[in-house]
This record gives sequence, structure tokens and C-alpha cells, in this order.
Amino acid sequence: MTRRRRWFSILTALAIVPCLFAAALAAWGQDAPTVPVEQAAIKSPVQQAEPAPRPPRERMAVYVLLAWVWFSIVALLGFLRLRIREADRVFHMGLDRAAEKKPKESRP
Amino acid sequence: MNVVRAWIEERLGLRAVTHFLEKKEVPRHKHTFLYYTGSSILLFLGIQIVTGVLLAFYYQPTLAEANASVVRIMTEMPLGWLIRSVHSWSATFMIAIVFVHLLGIAFTKAYRKPREATWITGVLLLGASLAFGFTGYLLPWDELSLAATKVGTNLPKALPFVGAWLTQVMRAGEDVTGDTLSRFFIVHVSVLPLAIMAFLGVHLFLVQRHGMSGPLAEEKKNVKVPALPFWPNFVFREAAVWLVLLGVLITIAIVAAPGIGPKADMMAPAPEGIKPEWYFLFMFQTLKLFPATILGLNGELFALLLMMVGMGLIAFLPFIDNRPAERKGRIISGLAWAGLAYAVGMSIWSLL
Amino acid sequence: MKLPYSLFSRRAFLNSLIGGWLAALGAAFISPLVKYIVPPTREPDQVSTPLADFKDMAPHTVKGFAWGNKPGFLKKTEDGGFIAFVGVCTHLDCNVAFVAEQRRFYCACHEGWYDENGLNVAGPPPAPLRRLAVSVEGDALIIKKQG
Repeated sequence: MTRRRRWFSILTALAIVPCLFAAALAAWGQDAPTVPVEQAAIKSPVQQAEPAPRPPRERMAVYVLLAWVWFSIVALLGFLRLRIREADRVFHMGLDRAAEKKPKESRP
Repeated sequence: MNVVRAWIEERLGLRAVTHFLEKKEVPRHKHTFLYYTGSSILLFLGIQIVTGVLLAFYYQPTLAEANASVVRIMTEMPLGWLIRSVHSWSATFMIAIVFVHLLGIAFTKAYRKPREATWITGVLLLGASLAFGFTGYLLPWDELSLAATKVGTNLPKALPFVGAWLTQVMRAGEDVTGDTLSRFFIVHVSVLPLAIMAFLGVHLFLVQRHGMSGPLAEEKKNVKVPALPFWPNFVFREAAVWLVLLGVLITIAIVAAPGIGPKADMMAPAPEGIKPEWYFLFMFQTLKLFPATILGLNGELFALLLMMVGMGLIAFLPFIDNRPAERKGRIISGLAWAGLAYAVGMSIWSLL
Repeated sequence: MKLPYSLFSRRAFLNSLIGGWLAALGAAFISPLVKYIVPPTREPDQVSTPLADFKDMAPHTVKGFAWGNKPGFLKKTEDGGFIAFVGVCTHLDCNVAFVAEQRRFYCACHEGWYDENGLNVAGPPPAPLRRLAVSVEGDALIIKKQG
């Protein structure tokens, strides 16, 4: 790849990342306020205390995170599929082995 | 960029590694999916290390503070409950995939020559993983932890001569106390990580050295199995598998976060309905079934010896199954299926 | 406007797309960890302490109280009122001590001195001791953040 194309692709990728990161940070907002310690309700000998009720903002942020995670996974699976097909195509056409041979042969 | 690459190459000489990875191939057949299990274990191990270190930032491994510090992590620290939940669920996922990996290797007989040493290191890794689970379970110091640890560390007592001593070594004394907690903590965060790194290093080196094993059936037919280049074809597929696993992990961690019970009371009677983590259930149920005495021998000792024989069979499977392609190999496969059915059946029974 | 040739190869484009999005996903995974690393230990908004402990102080004397994790100092003024300081040196956060004979606060770390009203008089401290607002409510002293 030419240098110009490589720099273009790096800059594009870099431009996307901060935007998405900023969106994620916005979802976090401020600190979760401190929550009082949950009192364990001991009804029977083996009763587990629940993790303390989480503040609504934090709960929202966690579900936003989950949605973003799954959305990203679906998108990435799509792109990976394209990339895998590309790699398989190259492999079956024997192009990578041909590319290997050519520079080797062209060396004096 | 190339300048940087050249600088690194001149000093580290990683050409050999990249060259090797470019050439590495993965056989393609109907059991190729099993090749994803190894790296998936690595993924979860990495997650365990990261979340484990983070938990250790606030966890205090003393009798007085252990339970309280876990409660603090879960209630006061931002998203502490999530970190703990991920750590707990990732442990389950990792051990589950370790079992799938072991069964996959066993049933495809990938342990046959020259991969016997790889199998042995794998069994050691299995032991380390289970030890991680066992030691980690005590650390929250709640009632279930204490009960499970008491039962687990009581097992060696049935052995003659060394039994009582072994139990005392595990418990740091006669009973499960604050000393036991300290001991389990340092084993969990220092001894076992070092051990697993050492075993893993040898295991991975051997795997790369011998390459990926192909299916037995193909070998018999003497056909060259079609192969996929490791980079980039297999790696991108692996990335897809990792992504899905991560998604499932974080979803389950959010939706089914574990709670914590009240601080363990060393004087209190054992809580009802205690049971160990799922990967020990079949052993637990086996022990429950054995009567107090068999043929004059202590029933527990009998069960323990049986379990040790079983572990020995698994550990030395490549040497026992030295004729994998022939009738002996098929018989051993059949016995392995029976063993698996037993373990699964016992686990389900113990939950009923 | 149609380009005569493509700016990137398909492979490079896909690699960048995957890499960039993975980085964003990575950021999403790492953000909870980053939040977790810094625990929310805030200073208290206010502290209440029984008036009885401080009622019988002579003017120009100083007594300590707890301001969250930091030491606080209450000084009795000539007219019988109180002023409160956070007893942390404004230089590099060491705890200061009140030297009664000199009626000054002393920071041992770098020999910083503050006068009895918290004003930095000698040594490296760049600013006076932080003031807190004091009020009397019933039989309790309420000490709050100022401003």
C-alpha cells in the first residue's frame, strides 16, 4: 500500500474512535453516588445478600454499555466475515503464495 | 513505520516468530471447531488476571475484613459488582472450556505420539485451573465458602499416613481459620499464577512445535488433510469466536451477578443445602453415595482411591491408549464416553 | 467525481474498519475498569461534633476534630466564636501541627509556618490553610465546606 493510503486509513480509524469513546463517556456521566451497605436478610441459613440496589443512572449506563457491546459485536462479525472471505479467496487463488514467490525470484 | 519495525527487528529478532506464524497451518475437517477451544481458554484466563488484579485492589485477605471488603467492592466501588461478577462468571466459562478442550483432545485422540507431553502439561493446567476455583471460592469468606472449604480440605484425611498432615497443610492447622484464608489467598494470587504461567509456557511451546494434530481417521486413510493458514484466515475466525464469547460473558455477568452471604461464623452449624462449585459436583455426589465402610475399608478412603485412580487414568491416557487407531483405541473411547456420562449424570443428580 | 483508482485496497479498508471498531469496543470494555480504579472517597459535606467538647476552650487555643480522612482544627477566637481549618498543608499535603507557645501552625515536612488565622507566613506553603464554615446548632457544632 502506498504511504498516503496507509496514512488515510489510520486517520480514518483514529477519527472514529474518539467519537465513539466520547459517546460512551457521555453515557457514564458523573460518578455513581455512594450507596448504603445492603443489610443481609437472613431468612434461612443459606440466604445470600443481593448486591446493593444500584442507582438508576448506573443501571442505565450499564444497559447502554450492553447495547453498545452487542451492536459492536454484530457489526464486527459482519466486517470479519467480509475479511475472512477476502482471506479465503486470496488463499484459494494461491495469490499469497504467488506474491511470496515473485519477490523471492526477483531477488538477484 | 518501517524504521520502527527495523529498529525492533535488529534488537529483538522477531523475524523467526513472525515467519513461523506465517507458515503455521490449521487442518480443516469436521472437528476444526475444537481448535478454537485452546485460545478461548487463554481469553478467559486473561480476563481473570485483569479482573482479579482489580478485585485485589480493594480486597482485604484477613479474617476480620475479607467479607466486609467484598461487600464494599460490591456496594461502594463504582461497578465493583460488575468486576466481581465478570471474575466469577469468567471462572466458570474458563473451566467449562477447559473441559471441552480436554474432551475434544481425548475423543480425537490428539494426545497420540508425539503429543504425550502436551497432554501431561494439559492435565497439570487442568489441576491448576481447578485449584484456582477452589482457592478463590474461600476468599469472600461467607457461609458457603467456609462450608465448601471445610468439606474440600477434609477429603485427604481419609488417606493413610499422609492424610491428616495434608489436611493440616491445606488448612494451615486443624481447622479452617484466618490462617487458611491467608494461605488460600497467596496460593490464588501468587503460587498458582506462577505455576500456570510455567505450565502454559511449556504447553504452548509444545503445541507450536508439533503443530495442530489432524483427525485419526484421515491419518489412517493417509490423505493430506486440507489446511487453512493460521494468519490471517484462522485468526480472524478466532476473533469472531472471541467476540461472541465476550458478549455472552458480559451479558450473563450483568444479568446474573452473584451476591454475597453473611460473614462466616466458625461456630455456626453448616448451612443447609451446601454444595461445591459445579465442576466438583460429580465428585461430591460420588462421595455422598459411598457407604461408611466397604469390605472393611473406610468408605471415604475407597471413594478417594477411586478418584485418584480416575485422575491417574486421565493423566496417563496417552500411554494407556498406545494403539489409538486399533480396537484398543475404540474400547478406550467407549470407556471415556462412559466416564463422561457418569460425570454429567452425577452432576445433574447432585442438583436434584 | 469519480476517482481513477481506489484510495485503499479492500483488505486495508476492512482491516482499518475492524481495527477501529475493535478499539472502540475495547474502550467500552475498559471504561468500567477505569471508573473502578478510583474509589469515590469524597470529603464529607459537613461534620457535626458535640459543642460540649469545645465549649470550654480558652481564646487563641486550638483543638482538633475529624474532617473525613483529614485532620481539622477548631480555633476559639477572642469574641468566643470559632473558626475551622482543614489541617493539611497547602504545599504538599502533609498534616500540620499547632504550636501553642507560638500560636502558629507548623508543617514539619518542609518547615512551613501559618499564623493562628491560617495565613501562610513562612516557608514554602503557597496559600493559607483552607477555611471551613462553623455554626452552632443546639448542642452541636456544625462544620461545613465554605462557599
